[in-house]
Amino acid sequence: MKSEKRSKCQIYLDVLQVLSEEIKMNNKFSLTRIAHRTNLPYDRFQNCMDRLIQLDMVSHDSNGRYVVTGKGLEYMEEYSRINEFLKRMGL
Amino acid sequence: MIQEALIASEFVSAGLALVLVYFFVKAYRFKSSVHLLGLPIGFSFLASSFVFLGMSILYENDVALSESFLWLRLITQSFGLAFVAFTYHFSSKEEKTATYFLGTVSLASAASILLFLGVLVVTPPLVQLPPVNMVDEYFRIANLASLGYIIYYLFRHRASLYTSVSHLKGVSSAFSLLWLGQCSLFIWGIDGSDGAFIFAHVVRLASLILFISIYYLSTRGLK
Repeated sequence: MKSEKRSKCQIYLDVLQVLSEEIKMNNKFSLTRIAHRTNLPYDRFQNCMDRLIQLDMVSHDSNGRYVVTGKGLEYMEEYSRINEFLKRMGL
Repeated sequence: MIQEALIASEFVSAGLALVLVYFFVKAYRFKSSVHLLGLPIGFSFLASSFVFLGMSILYENDVALSESFLWLRLITQSFGLAFVAFTYHFSSKEEKTATYFLGTVSLASAASILLFLGVLVVTPPLVQLPPVNMVDEYFRIANLASLGYIIYYLFRHRASLYTSVSHLKGVSSAFSLLWLGQCSLFIWGIDGSDGAFIFAHVVRLASLILFISIYYLSTRGLK
């Protein structure tokens, strides 16, 4: 993760990306590990997860496991699109 | 007929510039980088400059009103291009330095004040300004300098940027077309040839379409 100050949007993206990676790799991941990988203190990470659930980007499946929703995937795609656009703009 | 086509081209250009403003606002909201604010501000000024030029053609029978619109157009266009040039200049600097933010705000304030003065001229002519054709060359030189700086920046940073050279071809071409448009207007100011005037409009439209296509190419690149 970058050491420079991240925007709220960037933090959400980092959490979503790490979460979807962990889900793909292992169904029994720990939230502490995700907090660590996203460079966030656990309380801030927890707030971030609550906000993502509130925004319907993350939810629980029938087994109570975390899943990244379609909205979350759309958000990640939009962020990548903006990054690519700015890259192509030379910024 | 030509007059209608010119008015239509101004309003279409304004619409295209506003589409770009929407993309840049979205980019700013996602990235929250202060220096990116220069792009929506710059393109908003450009959009308003196209509207003012369209209005000046629309009201060309009212000389005073048309002249006021042309003044507003000169000011907004130059500020718009300067904002875009500043965005590129600051993009390679450290984000955290507050001076960039202050610089942007100062420029925005200066632009707003000038805009306000311009509006004062449009309503009752309280301030007497010299005829536009006496000063427009200076504004065009400033515009050429702003665009020249952006093109120079893109060429200079091509090697050091993390993106491939081919990715920057689109944006370099778009700014080069805008630069060519300003050159044509400069020539038109000297010899008054219709060809140069029409060419300036065509390349400007082409450059705005190219900017929008960069956004859609970015989308395609991800699939």
